[in-house]
Parts: sequence; structure tokens; C-alpha cells
Amino acid sequence: MKWTDLWGLAWRGLTRRRVRTGLTALGITVAVASMVIFLSLGEGIRKVFVEQLGGIGPDIQVSLSGFTQGFAPQPNLPDKAVTDIQALAPELGIKTVTPVVMTIRGSLEVSQSVVLYGLPAVQGIGAVFPNSSTAQGRAFTSADEGQGVAIAGAKAAQNLNLKVGSTLNLNRRSQAEVVGVLAPESGLVDNFIFLPLSTLQKAEGAVGRVSLVAVKLDNPRQAREVATALSDKLDLEASTQSDFLSFVERALKISDAVRFGISLISLIVGGLAVANTVMMGVFERTREFGTLRAIGARPSFVRALVLTESLLLSLVGGVGGVILGLAGIWGVNLYTQNLAGIDAAALTPRLVLLALGISLFLGLVSGLLPARSASRLNITEALGRV
Amino acid sequence: MTATTAQKTEAQTSNTPPLHVENLSRVYPSGEGQVQALASFTHTFPPGMTAVVGPSGSGKSTLLNLLAGFDSPSTGQVSVGDVNLTTLSEPARADFRLAHYGFVFQNHNLVSILSAQENVEFPLTLAGLPPKERRARALELLELVGLKNRAGHLPNQLSGGEAQRVAIARALARDPGILLADEPTGNLDSKTGELVLSLLTGAAAQGRRVILITHDSEVAALAHHRLSVRDGVVTAG
Repeated sequence: MKWTDLWGLAWRGLTRRRVRTGLTALGITVAVASMVIFLSLGEGIRKVFVEQLGGIGPDIQVSLSGFTQGFAPQPNLPDKAVTDIQALAPELGIKTVTPVVMTIRGSLEVSQSVVLYGLPAVQGIGAVFPNSSTAQGRAFTSADEGQGVAIAGAKAAQNLNLKVGSTLNLNRRSQAEVVGVLAPESGLVDNFIFLPLSTLQKAEGAVGRVSLVAVKLDNPRQAREVATALSDKLDLEASTQSDFLSFVERALKISDAVRFGISLISLIVGGLAVANTVMMGVFERTREFGTLRAIGARPSFVRALVLTESLLLSLVGGVGGVILGLAGIWGVNLYTQNLAGIDAAALTPRLVLLALGISLFLGLVSGLLPARSASRLNITEALGRV
Repeated sequence: MTATTAQKTEAQTSNTPPLHVENLSRVYPSGEGQVQALASFTHTFPPGMTAVVGPSGSGKSTLLNLLAGFDSPSTGQVSVGDVNLTTLSEPARADFRLAHYGFVFQNHNLVSILSAQENVEFPLTLAGLPPKERRARALELLELVGLKNRAGHLPNQLSGGEAQRVAIARALARDPGILLADEPTGNLDSKTGELVLSLLTGAAAQGRRVILITHDSEVAALAHHRLSVRDGVVTAG
């Protein structure tokens, strides 16, 4: 029998009980959609880091303990490291050395959380983020160093309702006046508020210390070699962009595993629903399968027919799950765009393939037992004769 | 049987492989003992219609199950031509049934999701015939049983007699040499039953071996040959 005939027959077998089949497919749809939405969060964040940060961050980032403290390390690196790196600049082909203080100002209200990013006013934001541009107000000048001035990223300005001339409270004693707002970049930088280095050091009680030193090279392709040399000579952690992305990737993989584990519960429930529906179908059609066997269908044909029904049911649910997941992702991104100016969730081709692959696997596993039962039935018993 | 029919039957016999059973018996376990459903039986089924008559539980259906290869005998064998059906594997038996057997059941046993035409096509689909050929063959057979105008109807849209005629068309789809009919008129009124029997008689007249299981002596009287079954013992006449 041709596979088109088999799939046609399986489809008609499923549609004879439309409500039951529909409800089971809906169960799979919801399970797959929840998995797609959960995993799309990782995909979206991965995309943001690769496309946004990967392209614009420093070639090398020098800190006391690498990425073990996360995205924004504590300002615990003595600023002597800056002069040490500058001393090595001619030898290692270093173009710019930018000391950075980072601190996350959290809030119970997520949209009110921002990253405070201090860097020398004389170097300006472009020293680390060359793609940034000022949309309102002005950029930093050398005269701003140590002054209470700030430039807000587009999303941070929107969330905190900051305009040129607004006052930003850094803590109880320190304030800064917003002198500029950056143009939106649709990246994490949109959530940063930039301050002159010494202003933030003073506000954070970190005078003489920095979080990291951002290094730009004459030849970025030598980042790995230069980072190794810096680590060896200064006994500090020097990480390249690819180290950072690897760190993000590792963190996301752990997060993916956790989110997939949660999704797995709903997938198992969906799989059991498919198995139940297909098994019910087999019980109801025992006589019919007996007839098919009697008139010349091989056991393998009956097995293939039941498995195909199970696969079709799961595939329909899987496709529905991807579509529903897409709607969910749209909703998530609507929220995160509003919150942080980024698309936190993304439906990538590999996620679509994974969702459909898991659906088919689910269908295969769920259909195995009913297919085995159907193919092994005794013809005389199935026909109602002894 | 008229002389003409007999001549036609004899003329087509050479194309039909002979059906022979040798020392065939079936014993079922029952509690701590055993039930002899079919006592040792040797017979060669001649071309034409053979009626197997006997009361309920006499062993008629056991005989049919063994002849069809649905069940395995306790002793003996069923041969069709040179092929010993008893020793074939399940898939090989299925292929053999598809090629050489046609079945008509008491309750038509049509596939409920398929139209009359698709039911008739089904054995041809299993055999891998192209759609165009199998459609043409199905319509030809539906015309033979007088149901071409009902080709697109589902089994639940057909009367009992119509469904049974579709079942006969399905049984003839691959032009089998052996037709096994298990109480084909059991659920039909006498007029519809006569129509179904005339189709089976026609199939037998073409040289097939039609084995008709029945408990109705009037139906059995239409057959060319007759076997009686009582308490598992099969006797001729």
C-alpha cells in the first residue's frame, strides 16, 4: 500500500471521532505551545546577546574574577590595573583602555530596574558602545567628570520617566541631572544609565576601584592571544567577547534544561492523552481490524496504520502548538519590549524543528503500545467468532 | 445445476488451485479438559459451491477459520495448490489470503469510514494497484451487484442487503479462486437473501470454490456439494 493511501486512511480513522480527536490534539497543542514559549525565552535572550552585545562590547574585559560574578561584577578591582594595562598597551596592540564601574539598581517593579554604567567622561560612551548616539541633549564632555550628570538609555528613560533636565537619585546623598538620552538600539544598552566614572565611584563608595576594564584592540582578531597575555602578566581574569558569549550560552543551556524539564511534564500528559485516544480507537475498531486482517492486510499494515494515526494526531497538535506558541511569544515580546526594549522570546527554526520533532517522537512512543495490540489481535476473536 | 453451468464450471476449474484438507482437526482447551471442535477430516473441495451445514456450535465456523488460515489446526494441514497454508508465517498467510481468498461475513463487516466503492477497492489498495485501475474495477463490481449508483455511500447509509452485496463485490475484487461465506444471508430477509445467494451462485459458476457456511437447509440446497457437521464430525452429503 502506498504511504499516501495509508495516511489518508489514518486521517479518516482519526476524524471519525472528531470531538475526541480534537480535544486530544488540543492537549498536545497546549503542551507543545508551553514548551515553545518556555524555550523561546532562551532563544530570544541568546539572540539579543549574540546580535547586540557581541557586536558592540569591548574586545577584552578585564576583571578580578571573570564572569563568576555575573553580568555586572562588583567594583572590587583596584584602578591600578588600569595603569598596568595602559603600560602594556604598546606591546600588546591595545587601542583604548576604559575603566568601568557597573551596578544594578534593582526594584520590586521590574520596569524600574536599571544598570548604572560609569565610564570616563572624557572617553564618552562611544569608547565601549560605538554604535550609540544621542537622541536628545548632549554627550559627555571632559568637564563632566566627577559632576552629577547622567545620560539615559532610551528604555531606561522611558521606564523611569527621565527627560533632559530630570533629576536621577543615585542614593540618599547623590543625585545626577540627566543631560542626554540615547537613541534606541533595541538592545540591553537601552536599559543602561551612563554616568562619569568618578561620579559613580563616589556614589557607590568605590573610589579607587572599578568593576572591570574594557579593552579595545588595534586588531580584534588577536583578542584571545592578548587576553591570555594580560591574564598571565597581571594575574587577573581577561575575557574576550567569545568567552562572554560562551558564559551566556552555558547559563542559557542550564536554564533551557530547567525550562524543558518543566515543559516535559505537560508533554508527558499530552503523550498519555494521545496513547489513550489511539488505544480507545483500537478497542472500538477491533472487529474492523480483524476484517482487514482477514481480507489480506498484514499485521505490519495494521501496526503502521495505528502508528500513523498516532503520529498524525501528534503532528497536528505539534503544528497547532507552534502556532499557539508563536502567539504566546508575541505576547511575551510585547511585554518585554515595553519593559526593557528587547524581544526576550524568539521562535527560531531550530525551536520549530525541536517542537515538531518532539511531537512526532511523542506520537511514535504513544502509538507503540496500541499499534502492537492492534497488529497482534487474533482474527477469529476480533471477528467475534470462536 | 444446468448442463451449461456445469460445463462452464469444469472449463474454468483449471485456473483455480485445488483446496485440500488432510487429517484436519482442532482441539480447544476448556477448563482442565479439552473440547474437540473438529474431528480429523480429509477432503478435497471441488469447484462450485459447497454448503457446510450444521446446527450452532457444531464446528462449522471452526472449519472455516482453519480453511482461511485464521486459526491453526491441532493436526493436519490445509493446502491450496502446492502451498501448505498451515506452515506459512502470518504475513505470508495474509498475502496468500489477499491473492486467493474472498470473504463474505454474516454482518458484511465493511469498513465504516470508507464508502462502498472504497471498501471494494480496499483489497486492491492493499495489493498496490494504481488508483485509476482499482476505481475502475470497483465500479465494475458494484455494477455487477447492482449498486453502482450507491458507490459513494458509507456503510451506514446502505441497507443490510446492500451492504452485503458490497461485501460480495469486495470479496470478488481480486478475482479469488476461493470464496468463503459465513452465514451470508443470516441477517437478511428472504428476498434480499435470494439476491445475495444468486451472486454467490454466479461466482461459483465461474469456476471458483465457494464454501458457504449455513444452518439453513434451503440455502444449502442451492449448493452443488454438501458437507454436514455435527459435534465436530464432518460428513459428506
